[in-house]
Amino acid sequence: MKNFFTCILATLVVAPAFAAKMPMPADAPKSYESECASCHMAYPPGLLSEKSWQNAMNGLSKHFGTDASLDAKDQKEISVWLQKNAATKQKYNVVAPDNRITKTPWFIRKHDEIKADVWKRAGIKSPANCGACHTTAAEGIFSEKSISIPAK
Amino acid sequence: MNKELRVIRVFAVALSLDISGLASAATPQDLLKTYEAQSGKASPARGEQFFNAKHGKEWSCASCHENPPNHDTKHIVTGKVIKPLSPNANPARFTDEAKADKWFKRNCNDVLGRDCTVQEKADVLAWLMTIK
Repeated sequence: MKNFFTCILATLVVAPAFAAKMPMPADAPKSYESECASCHMAYPPGLLSEKSWQNAMNGLSKHFGTDASLDAKDQKEISVWLQKNAATKQKYNVVAPDNRITKTPWFIRKHDEIKADVWKRAGIKSPANCGACHTTAAEGIFSEKSISIPAK
Repeated sequence: MNKELRVIRVFAVALSLDISGLASAATPQDLLKTYEAQSGKASPARGEQFFNAKHGKEWSCASCHENPPNHDTKHIVTGKVIKPLSPNANPARFTDEAKADKWFKRNCNDVLGRDCTVQEKADVLAWLMTIK
């Protein structure tokens, strides 16, 4: 019985840590870094559903207010890779409003204590700037332990 | 495969890689000459004015690259660090014609809502080359 409770306790403690991990697959094409991550963080593909990635990649000439168009080869390479590695867990596998990670229900719930003016601080600029507060975002670690919110 | 043939093939592949490598390598001076040949003589003063002005839309080039663009800056929306645009501050800039044209296409569309003319590219590049 004691073992049973230990097991439950361990699950409770460990589960959030797992949920906060979203590593970059090792086979990311070079074009993902050079084409996408030159303007924003290289988002781990597991943060969006297959359908949402497909939608985002089909509208690159109007990509959140900017022209992010690619040549056909890069477009296909990145698109196939993103969809292959898209979200599988039910929680993340949702069609994101406007194809924005930051408008998914799980993202909004996770950040519901962050006030509107905090997002606007010069050191943050946008909810899409994960690394501004999640100091280990580049390694795919979004745990509570590695959060440091810029004061300005 | 016969050994000799294999050696030749490896050699041929190495050679073609080398040639394609050379084809895409350029200097900012080379690129400026290419642009000038397709338009007219570049004017750094006109380039500076173009770079810092808005063109009927929300952003100028300087919105993200700042003035002078000789240091790390941040993307106006995402906050992502952008390396210096001036080739004097960042020798990797304007050494690959395809890459330069790709970014002109995207960024001109964001700033002007159209492609830049070759003269505009020549002017901006000529100005950037004067920045220390």
